[in-house]
Amino acid sequence: MRNYLFFIVKSSLFDLARNKGRTFLTSLGILIGVMSVVLLMATGLGLKRYIQDQLESLGANLIFAIPGSKKSIMRGGGMMGGIKFDDKDVTKIKRISTVAVVAPVYVNPGTIIEANGKDDIVELVASTEQVVPVFNLEIEIGRLLEKKDNDKRSKVVNISATTAKTFFGTVDEALNKTLKISKQNFKIIGIIKSKGGGGLGGSGIDSHIYIPFKSAYSFNPDKKYYAIYVKAESKDKVAETKSEFEKVLLKRYDKDDFSVMEQSEIMDTISAIFGVINIVLISIAAISLVVGGIGIMNIMYVSVTERIKEIGIRRAIGAYRKDILWQFLTMSTILSLFGGLVGLALAFIIVYLIHPIFPAYIDLTSVTLALGVSSLIGIVFGVFPAKKAADLSPIDAIRYE
Amino acid sequence: MIKLQDVTKEYKIDGDETVFTALKNINLLIKDGEFAAIMGPSGSGKSTLMHIIGLLDNSTSGQILIDGKDISTLNDDQLSKLRNEFVGFVFQQFNLINKLTIMENIILPTVYAIKKMDFDPEERAMELINRFGLAGKENSYPNKISGGQQQRVAIARALIMKPKLILADEPTGNLDTKTGDTIMKLFKELNVEDKITVIIVTHEADIASKTGRIIKIIDGKLV
Repeated sequence: MRNYLFFIVKSSLFDLARNKGRTFLTSLGILIGVMSVVLLMATGLGLKRYIQDQLESLGANLIFAIPGSKKSIMRGGGMMGGIKFDDKDVTKIKRISTVAVVAPVYVNPGTIIEANGKDDIVELVASTEQVVPVFNLEIEIGRLLEKKDNDKRSKVVNISATTAKTFFGTVDEALNKTLKISKQNFKIIGIIKSKGGGGLGGSGIDSHIYIPFKSAYSFNPDKKYYAIYVKAESKDKVAETKSEFEKVLLKRYDKDDFSVMEQSEIMDTISAIFGVINIVLISIAAISLVVGGIGIMNIMYVSVTERIKEIGIRRAIGAYRKDILWQFLTMSTILSLFGGLVGLALAFIIVYLIHPIFPAYIDLTSVTLALGVSSLIGIVFGVFPAKKAADLSPIDAIRYE
Repeated sequence: MIKLQDVTKEYKIDGDETVFTALKNINLLIKDGEFAAIMGPSGSGKSTLMHIIGLLDNSTSGQILIDGKDISTLNDDQLSKLRNEFVGFVFQQFNLINKLTIMENIILPTVYAIKKMDFDPEERAMELINRFGLAGKENSYPNKISGGQQQRVAIARALIMKPKLILADEPTGNLDTKTGDTIMKLFKELNVEDKITVIIVTHEADIASKTGRIIKIIDGKLV
């Protein structure tokens, strides 16, 4: 048995190498299939990581209340209409013992800003100075929003380094310049460190601009809050805080009118949605694997026919049925695995190339799955041709010309 | 000892009701250590007879006993085992596997062997290579050596498992007379020195005359 594997692998490699063009074309189906599946998995993982990074950059222990029931939020409808929160809510929430910070916010995701002859649409966040600890804002140059800004209704704004560079080239250039927010002039008093992870249509954390809540009354005439962000004292107080938070709001609002969520929940919700989309896409891509498998089966039948004489010789010198079976199964598996490996390599190259703009990545599961599935295809689609070869009668095979 | 009792082989010809009888009531005893020739014109059934003795083909009726054991009771795996251990085949077209080297061709039967071998395959192959004047060719491929050399490789392959029987189907058919004579001398040597039973199938009387016993076959019957 010492040489057994060597012999069947050498025979297979020789036959595959003799028909290089045919081998390549046959494995192309598996190659494309494995590449698409791995790339889709990498995209799914990248998306998940991107969202996770975005949420984690907001800081841990974060809980928030927004209008709309959880069901409607999952359907994507929570952003519009419904109730708004006011100072009464904020006061009550501040009384919860485990709450460290409360930041009520007004948000307008479609705010037009202009400066330096350029314009862009950003997400306006109007809040008190408490927004700083809630969103973990860190200053790069200048200063962050303070209590006095809100008290004086100062027309001041904090923008991210990314936004500063887009409009002014450098952060130094941007400091103390004027930024037009919906036609009103605001002074850029500080540039916030970028959180990174942008690139998905620019809708990341870095495109937020922060102004004092009271300075936004002209955009928000009813002076109410779109959302209330709360930071719990510590990680193990998150659940307790959340349930207290909910109790407070339930006294005033119907349970379907608002939702209190923590970060992990948004993460779960988004993951679930992308998970389903990803599975559908991967299933479609997997069809090409089946097509590739049929191609392998076809070529294996041809290969068996071409080598009937050789099968006869091997049987005459004492090869068992299972030896012939293994020989052809090895060949089809190598063929399929070759396609899988090249497909995987190409997927790695593509992921590497797109990595600067999108954090897609290939994990061990994808690699294992890609190689496992391509081996399996080789075996499944190789078994019928191999069985045909093994079942040839020795005398018919050796007489075959 | 190989004993054939009343062996008949019939073929059904496709799309035809008629049955072609290749062998008819063959009774034959070949003792251990014999050097025999099965001789007959083409179409006489001599190759069919060899294939049946060599366990490649089965008979339609009759009994084939190898060392007293009826082979009709054996399954495919048991037949494979016998072909591997008991018989060594030599063919007219040599039937070497071109993608394997000379060394690999010779040790191929040992790869399929199930029983524990009392020799090292490569050492034994090397001995046979040296004995048959093939030294230096072990890493060549079959299509790079002459016909006479290929046939010697085929004989080495037939011998590697130390079989009790060598079956050679027109072993000199593709060789010139001189080379053919060398091959025949080799068979004689194997029979005398190695005590192997050798059966040669041929249509040439002078080849047959070099063996110890001529079994004539015409139209599927021994004469």
